[in-house]
Amino acid sequence: MPHLDANGLRFHMQALRAGDADDPERDPTTPRAKVVMIHGLVVDNLSSYYYTIANPMALVADTYLYDLRGHGRSDMPKTGYTVVNHVADLRSLLGAWDIDEPVHLVGSSFGGAIALAFTRLFPEKVASLILIEAHFANEGWGEYMAGTLALAAFGLDEDVVQEWIAENGTRKLNRLARHSERLFLETSMIDDLNQEQPMSHRVLEAIECPALAIYGDGSDILDRAHDLEDHIPHCELHIVPDCTHSVLFEATPFVRETVLDWVTRHHAGVPTAAAAQAAS
Amino acid sequence: MPGPLPIADAAPDVTPQGDVLEVVQRMLVDVIGPEYLIGLTIDLDTSFDADLELESLEFVALAERLLEYYGEAVDFVAWLATMELDDIIALTVGDLVTFIVTSTSTPDRYRFGLVHEGSESESASTATAR
Repeated sequence: MPHLDANGLRFHMQALRAGDADDPERDPTTPRAKVVMIHGLVVDNLSSYYYTIANPMALVADTYLYDLRGHGRSDMPKTGYTVVNHVADLRSLLGAWDIDEPVHLVGSSFGGAIALAFTRLFPEKVASLILIEAHFANEGWGEYMAGTLALAAFGLDEDVVQEWIAENGTRKLNRLARHSERLFLETSMIDDLNQEQPMSHRVLEAIECPALAIYGDGSDILDRAHDLEDHIPHCELHIVPDCTHSVLFEATPFVRETVLDWVTRHHAGVPTAAAAQAAS
Repeated sequence: MPGPLPIADAAPDVTPQGDVLEVVQRMLVDVIGPEYLIGLTIDLDTSFDADLELESLEFVALAERLLEYYGEAVDFVAWLATMELDDIIALTVGDLVTFIVTSTSTPDRYRFGLVHEGSESESASTATAR
């Protein structure tokens, strides 16, 4: 399994590239777009992208996936689960991947919060934002997230629950339960989330790069979609009918085509904020 | 101690398909762990999801190992890019073996017996060098 050392931790990652042989007309000296995909919390990992949009994206762009700290097959440190910690990980990973140019950042769910915070701190590193059911901290968000996860953690360490899982759970369920239990009970993740500060509208208004937002019309965080559309200066919003927070899986073909088209449209080998400014 | 490896007891299959199947079987044992495969047989009809309950990250690991073994001739990215999520979930060992055989087979490779007479590493280097 490919791993990279970054920010003092070992990260499981995938760097995907294909399609060169299928496009003989492409000028090999023209740099391809670079796309970095950030997944969501707890039960999520890089495979959410690997199974949906990453491989098609890798036909046209250099595509990078990684498991967040504490997730998938990356290291699980005891502390350091704030959004800013994750941003520092990403900044370090870009260095480890030797990426200097601005990247297209894809953030799903909690990964969207990381992508937004990264853009706030390192705007020169971001060519565009692609936010799929993105969470970001508004008033009470940290407490809500921490409360939700604490509820999920409740009882996981009870003997009776452990016995039930051992007797009745599949191999996958057993591993998932053990991993979640470690993350909930042996790390500071819940406490760290509880202390997240809201991201103000002024932060969204200061984002210069273009942003694509995709949400399901049945999403429990649809208010975020409208916040993004109202406050990010160059935001293209798609609300997908009959979908929920799991729109990446429920409408994979639509998400795939929309994101591929977005990256193709916004990649000219240069940062795209200026292009968005000109187009608006 | 784990039991014997869960590989079908049939006589060795000396076709390209049998050769690749053996590699896939061995890598699956590495990825999943032999203790989880006791009592299971891995053959061409085995489903990664329904039969092996392969975790999504284990499938990623399997693809990574096969890429290392066979080299870039086996273009998993392009192959998976053609599939919808349901297609990937429904994949069988046979689908994967067929893809690898198709990707790696050349008349010369099998005409001269490079695969069957050689070791595992020889087979890998043959595929990688092309």
